[in-house]
Amino acid sequence: MAEMLRRIEIPIAITIICTLLQIIPFYIEVKPLETFSDTFRSWMILVATCALFLGAASLALLHSKKIQRRSLGWQYSILTLVSMVVIMLAGLPIPEIGLGVDNPVFDFLFKNILTPLGATMYSIIAFFITSAAYRSFRARSNEATVVLVAGILMICYNAPLMTSIWPGFTPIGDWIFSIPNMATMRAVIIGAALGAIALAMRVLLGIERGYLRGGEE
Amino acid sequence: MAFFVTGRIFGLICLIAIAGAVTYYIRRARGGKVSQVRRLAGIDAITEAIGRAVEMGRPIFCSHGISDMRNATYGPQTIAGLSVLSFVATRCVELGARLIVPCRNTEVWPVATDIVETAYKMAGKPEEFNIDDVTYLSSDQFGYSSNYLGMMMREKPGANIMVGAYWAESLQLAETGNRIGAMQVSGTANTHQLAFFVIATDYCLIGEEIFAAGAYVTEDPVFISSIAGQDFGRIIAVALMILGTILFTFGSEALINLVDW
Repeated sequence: MAEMLRRIEIPIAITIICTLLQIIPFYIEVKPLETFSDTFRSWMILVATCALFLGAASLALLHSKKIQRRSLGWQYSILTLVSMVVIMLAGLPIPEIGLGVDNPVFDFLFKNILTPLGATMYSIIAFFITSAAYRSFRARSNEATVVLVAGILMICYNAPLMTSIWPGFTPIGDWIFSIPNMATMRAVIIGAALGAIALAMRVLLGIERGYLRGGEE
Repeated sequence: MAFFVTGRIFGLICLIAIAGAVTYYIRRARGGKVSQVRRLAGIDAITEAIGRAVEMGRPIFCSHGISDMRNATYGPQTIAGLSVLSFVATRCVELGARLIVPCRNTEVWPVATDIVETAYKMAGKPEEFNIDDVTYLSSDQFGYSSNYLGMMMREKPGANIMVGAYWAESLQLAETGNRIGAMQVSGTANTHQLAFFVIATDYCLIGEEIFAAGAYVTEDPVFISSIAGQDFGRIIAVALMILGTILFTFGSEALINLVDW
């Protein structure tokens, strides 16, 4: 029995059935199938939510080991574990005893720690863009020169100072954005959609198995 | 009695045609007629990057984006990333390199763990698998990226392979990888992040190339032939574009109506 359950045909069959259950109601109106598909999606969300506990358990194990072994930076692991436990407890959905999203501790941690940390990480992208642009915008070849010129024109298009000096940057920027840029992006999107269909066909036919234990039996 | 959903019939016909073409090429390859596909420098570079990292005695980072596998738009990118991970894990085990897989999604993390563990088992080295190297970092986008950046700065990988759906963290990861001197191979179908990957990494797989990667790395003729089936879809797309341009220029909305059928 255990041997049979380990066979790779089982996850492949589950994948095929689940895929067809989503695809058929999208194109064909069959009420019972639609209802079943909706229920199925709700179950899918439930199962995925259960995976969150796996993540929390994994984090707890990993950092506990680090603390136990006094690995490099183990003090940060204590901070991680304490933060995780505090925010988890404060955010438990039991409003009767004052816990949940309206809990003052949860609210404080969310607004004053989590949000600013996220905003900080997002804002440092500006520095990464600057360093990447500095390194890349060099006219080493014809193609690189095109990128350099287009980049400079787009910077001028987006800088109010430059468009006030010469309003001609606006139509040039609009043209770059809506003609060559749009054409390229659409080509990539069409190509990616075709690639996704081919991948889906390989998955449905059971020949793409890289996502299943590396495709081994 | 079943009815087709209005507005989706033309899409269904196209889907069936493209899927049929892919299936045809797969069957054709099984019959011995193998299609030729162009070499993809980015995919060939993955092996080179792993070899370089091994020579330098440094670990290899391989991530599969930050999307889950359920999302209709981004899920396929995650699956493509996991196929690449499968290939990278096999190569790393063969060469004795340490592979680190940072994960953002709790539902993808067990799959990634299983893929890497299987690679060790298949090579007869199950005892060398370290579950802590396939690590769940955070479900928060920037929690994940800050963890990833920190790990890169500490571990100094010789190669950083990123194939999947990435968003704002793409440039943070790629620039940090560049800063520490890792050879980087990236790939995404998220058009808004492609520019970042193109300028900041050594090789970039653009759009459809990431979906081909899983088939391409196996060097299996049946897999590779399925990529050739995509060309049929490309022919349909180009033909519709040309036809649409001509018809619309002459004031006809026949194609628009057909697409909305």
